Parts: sequence; structure tokens; C-alpha cells
Amino acid sequence: MNRSLVILLGALALCAALLGGSYAVSRRVCQNCMSKSVSDLDWLQREFHLSDADLARIQKLHEGYLPKCGEMCAKIAAKKLELETALNGSTNVSPVAQQKLAELAALRAQCQAQMLQHFTEVSQTMPPEQGRRYLAEMQRLTLGLHEQTESSMSGSAGHEHHH
Amino acid sequence: MNKEYINPDPGFAGSSAEASDARLSALLRESRTAPALPPRFQEGVWRRIEEADAPVKTNGGVAWLDALAALVLRPRLALATAAALMIAGALLGVRDGSQRAHQDAQARYLAAVAPNSLH
Repeated sequence: MNRSLVILLGALALCAALLGGSYAVSRRVCQNCMSKSVSDLDWLQREFHLSDADLARIQKLHEGYLPKCGEMCAKIAAKKLELETALNGSTNVSPVAQQKLAELAALRAQCQAQMLQHFTEVSQTMPPEQGRRYLAEMQRLTLGLHEQTESSMSGSAGHEHHH
Repeated sequence: MNKEYINPDPGFAGSSAEASDARLSALLRESRTAPALPPRFQEGVWRRIEEADAPVKTNGGVAWLDALAALVLRPRLALATAAALMIAGALLGVRDGSQRAHQDAQARYLAAVAPNSLH
């Protein structure tokens, strides 16, 4: 009995090792091959079945948008630094800090509006059905995160504040 | 040999020798006392014969394990199982790897166009 049990356990271990090993290796190889030398827009082309002409138009829009996005990110980073300086060492929110908060929020809103504008422009270069899907997906991915946070913090989600 | 001792004269008539043998055999039979058989001796003999002919009884669980172990050790079956497991693992890996690569590509695009929405 012992010998049979050892054989069976050994066979099971070997099976698990074979399955796990081949899974891990093929997953790694596949992921590396598919991620190798892909540009930012490869996902768009695959996900929304875009032609090369569509992709070329989107590429132009993308390249035009990136410097504006970078500029806005730099402004937001600078404003955050100003806010941190205003908050540093104080035990309450000073009028200056409130002013910086409002400015930061305005910059973020401006950044979001610019981003949504870019998504709209990109969606218009796609075939109509794909464009609608792209816009909905982008809104879900970029605005959905904030909505989730807000809904989890609101009372509607069953969360109670205890201040 | 015995005949020579019983009937040492080789020239004597054959019928006389045979009669002498028969008498000797009868005397020997009478002088040999057969021991009494134990009670139900015959029945016991038959039972032991039947037990010897019956297949060896084994524990059901052990027999099952032994049979499975013997099955596992068949080279053809072992090779086929190993090949099937490797193919299944590879297919699952390719599926998951492509999904992961797809997610990475999506995250890369989002990081490029919406860096502030990610954190």
C-alpha cells in the first residue's frame, strides 16, 4: 500500500509541476512577446479594430495632445507644491491654503476637460460604432475611478462618517 | 527381491510361490493396525482444498490503490497524460498572458493620455 501511495502522490506532484510549469512559461513568453516594442496606441488599434489610416490620424492627434497634457501635469504639480507649502506647519486650513486648493481643483478640472476633449476628437476619427465605444470606455476608465471613490465615501453606499 | 527371500528356490513351481505371496500379504495386512481418523476428517480435507483454490482476499482500498498505481506506471498512459497536461498548461498560459498583455497595453495608453486620473 505504501509503495502505491508513494507512486500516486509522486505522479500527482509531477502532474501539478508539469501543468504549473508549462502555464508559467507560456504565460511569460506570451506576455513578453505581445508587450515587446508596442507603442502607446497599439491597444487602441487592437481593441477598436482600427485601420492604419485611422491609426495615423489618431497618432497625429495623440502627438498634439501629449505636450498639452504634460504642460497641465506640470502646472498641477507646481500647484500641489504650493498647497503643501501653505499647509506646512499650520494646524488649520488657512485662507491661503483654501485659495491654493481651489486653484488646484480648477487646474484639475481644466485638465479633465482637455482630456475629455481629446477623447472626443479621437472618437470622431474612428468608425462611428467604435468611436462611441471608445468614448464610453475612456469616460469609464478616467472618470469612473473618481465616481467609485465618491460613492464609497457617500452615505448612499452605506458608509457612515464618524467625526 | 522379496520373492527371492520368500521363495529362495528358483526351480520351484510358480503356482506355489503365488500362493505363498498371497498368504504373506494377508498376514501383513492383519498385522498392520491403521490409526483411527479424527472426527470429520474428510470434511476438513475438503474445506482446506476449497480454501486453497479460492482467490486471495485483499482489502478493497489497497487493491484500488495498487491498480491505480499500476495504471499510472504504464509508459504510454504516463506520456499521454504528461503531454496533455503540458498542452493544457500552455494554452491556459497563452490565454492569461495575452489578457495580461492586453491590460498592460491599456494601462500604458491610459498612463499616456490621462496620467492624473490614475492616482
